[in-house]
Amino acid sequence: MTDATITGDRALPGRLPRLRLSAAEPWLYLAPAIAVVAIWTYVPLLQAFELSFYQWNMLPRSTPRFVGLDNYRNLLSLPDMRQAVVNTVLYTIGLLPLSVGIPLAVALLTGGLSGPLRNLYRALIFVPMIVAPIVAAILWRWLLNEDHGLVNAWLSGIGLGKVGFLSDPDVALWTLVWITGWKLIGFSTLLFTAADSAISPSYVEAARMDGASPWQIVRDIRLPLLSPTILLITMMTILFGAQWSFVYINALTGGGPLRSTTNVYHVMWEYGFKTMAAGWSTAAGMLVFAVFGLIAIGCLAAMRRFAVYDE
Amino acid sequence: MASIDIRSVHKLYGKTPAVRGLDLAVEDGSFLVILGPSGCGKSTLLRMIAGLEDISAGEIAIDGRVVNEVEPGRRGCAMVFQNYALYPHMTVAENIGYALKVAGVPKAERADRVGRVAAMLGLGDLLARKPSQLSGGQRQRVAMGRAMVREPGIFLFDEPLSNLDAKLRIQMRLEIKRLHRELKTTSVFVTHDQVEAMTLADTLVVMNQGVIEQVGTPAEVFRRPKSRFVANFLGSPPMNFLPAEIDRRGRAVLAGGHMPWPDLVFELAAETRIEVGLRPGDLTPVAGKAAEGAIPFEPDILEDLGSELHWHGTVGGSAVAVALPAATPIPAGPVGLKAPPSAVHAFLGDGRRAEPAAAPIPSPKPSGEAPWRATSLSYT
Repeated sequence: MTDATITGDRALPGRLPRLRLSAAEPWLYLAPAIAVVAIWTYVPLLQAFELSFYQWNMLPRSTPRFVGLDNYRNLLSLPDMRQAVVNTVLYTIGLLPLSVGIPLAVALLTGGLSGPLRNLYRALIFVPMIVAPIVAAILWRWLLNEDHGLVNAWLSGIGLGKVGFLSDPDVALWTLVWITGWKLIGFSTLLFTAADSAISPSYVEAARMDGASPWQIVRDIRLPLLSPTILLITMMTILFGAQWSFVYINALTGGGPLRSTTNVYHVMWEYGFKTMAAGWSTAAGMLVFAVFGLIAIGCLAAMRRFAVYDE
Repeated sequence: MASIDIRSVHKLYGKTPAVRGLDLAVEDGSFLVILGPSGCGKSTLLRMIAGLEDISAGEIAIDGRVVNEVEPGRRGCAMVFQNYALYPHMTVAENIGYALKVAGVPKAERADRVGRVAAMLGLGDLLARKPSQLSGGQRQRVAMGRAMVREPGIFLFDEPLSNLDAKLRIQMRLEIKRLHRELKTTSVFVTHDQVEAMTLADTLVVMNQGVIEQVGTPAEVFRRPKSRFVANFLGSPPMNFLPAEIDRRGRAVLAGGHMPWPDLVFELAAETRIEVGLRPGDLTPVAGKAAEGAIPFEPDILEDLGSELHWHGTVGGSAVAVALPAATPIPAGPVGLKAPPSAVHAFLGDGRRAEPAAAPIPSPKPSGEAPWRATSLSYT
C-alpha cells in the first residue's frame, strides 16, 4: 500500500489506483478486527437469538421447528434452571473473597517487601495461574480424593473425619469455588500489587506526617486509591466468575452430585451438547446474556460513581 | 514553635553517602533555607528531620528531645511537599482536616479549625472542591493549610514553589514570608532557587555533596562566600573568576601582569595560584584600556534586561560578565574594568576563601553612597 501511495498516478499494473485505495484505506485497516468481532460474536449472537425460538436437535437432517416463546416459558418454569441460577449466585459470592479479598490483603501486606523475598512470594502466588485449568482440575481431584487423597489423609491425621470434597452435595460447590478462586488469586494479587505500587508514595508520606497509623493509611489513602482496581476485579468476578468455574464443573463433577454444582453456563452447555436441545440452550444463553448485560451496566455505573482516579 | 538540633548526621543509600556528617542548629522561630544544587542532600536532610528517612548515623533533636526513632506524625513537624501530595479523593476541607480527624478531634471543632485556616489562606469558597478542580496556586495553598491546621512546631518545605509559574511563585513566596511573620513557626525550607533562598531566609545554609558549605544570613553568605562553590552558586550572572598568582609582596597578579589592587595583600606564599572572584555588579567600565587600576576588557555581547544591562566579554581569556544599571552609557572603543578592593574575593586552589592580611584600604567613594550597590544584588 505504501508503494501505491508513493507511485501515485503512475500505479503499476495490477495495483489499485491511488484514489480508490485511499478512500478504502481506513476500512481495510479495520477489516480484520471487524471481521473477527462479527464472525465470532455478533453473527453467532444473532443466530442464537433466532434459534432460541425454534426447537431443534442439531442433527443436520432435521429441520428446526418454530415454537415461539415456548423455550423461554419452559426454561423459566424448570427447577433445573432455578437451581442453576441459585448456584451461579453462590459461585459469584464464594469467589469474591478469593478474587478480591485475599489478593487485596496480600498486596497491601506485601507492598513494603523488597529484594529476593518479594520475587519468591510473587513466583509462589503466581504459579497457580500458569497451570492449565484442566491440569489443575486433575491435580485437585487427586488431592481431594475421598479415599486416597492427600488432603483427606491429612484431615484424618489430625483427627478430623473424611470429607467428600467432590461427592458431598453440601461441599462440592465450595470445593469448585476454591479451585476456581485458587487459580485467580495470583492474577488478582498481581493487579492489586501493580495498582498499589502506582500510588504516589508522597500520599502515604503526607498521611504519615499527618499522624495516620499504618491501618489508617490503608483505610483512608490506599484503599480509596485502589478503588478502580477493586471495582474492576469485583465486576470481572461477578460477570465472569461463573464462566471461569465451568472447566472445573465439567472436569470434576459434571454438575453433580444431585445437580449441586451446576450453574447457568453448565446448564446451557448440557442442554446444547448433551441433550442436543439447541432451542433450550440458546434461549438460556439469551437469558444469561440479558441478565449479565444489565448487571454489567450496573457495574459500570457503580465504577463511575465510586472509583477514585488520581490525575 | 520548636528548635532543631542536628548533630553529625549521616545518610547512606547503600554505600552512597547522601549526607556526610552534618551539624546544624535551627533556632526557635527562625526561617532556615537550605540551598543547593540537585543531589546535594538537602531534601534528604529535610526528610530526615521529618522522619520519612532513617538516619544512618548521628542524631536529630527537636526541642531537646532526640527524635531518631519517633514516628513522623509525632515529631510536631508539618510538611509541604513539592508536588503538594493532596489526597485526590478528598475535598479541600477533608484534606486540610485529615490530620485532625486522625488525631480524633471532634467534628465540630475540626470544621471550625479548618474554616479558620481556609479563611486565612483565602480558600473559604473552595472547601467542597477536589484537588483536581484547583489551580496550581490553590493546591499550593491547600498544602499550606494542611500543614498549618495542626499548629505544628515546625514547618518543613520541600521545594514547594518549584511547580508554579514564575508570577505565582513570587506571589506565594511573599505569602509564605507573610505567614511566617504572623505565625512565627520555625521553618525549614529546601530549594535550589537562589532568589527564594535569599528572600525567605533568616539563616541560609548552602549545601554541596552532602556537606554544609556555609551557614549565615543571606547577606553574609552573598557578600562573604566561604568557598568558591558558594560564590559561584549565588548570584546571577554568577561571579567572575580570574586566575591570579601571588607575587613576592603578597599581591594578586592577574594574567598579563595586571595588578589592579596593589594595596590588597594576602598572607600567602609567593607564586601561590589563586582565583580572584568579582561580582558582575561590582565592576565598573572605564574608557581606555590603559586606565590606571583597570583590567582590560574585551566586550562581546550586550544584553538589555530592561532593569539592567549585562555586558559579556573576556578578560585575559576568562569569560567575564558585567552588570550595569539600565541606561548606563556604554563607552565606545577600548574598555577597562574597575572594582574596589573591598569587592575582591579570593579563593585558593581547594576552593577555600583567602582573606587579605589587613583591612583593604577603602576605595575612594563619594560619601552617602551605600557600601554595596543595589545592582550588585541582581539574580534574574
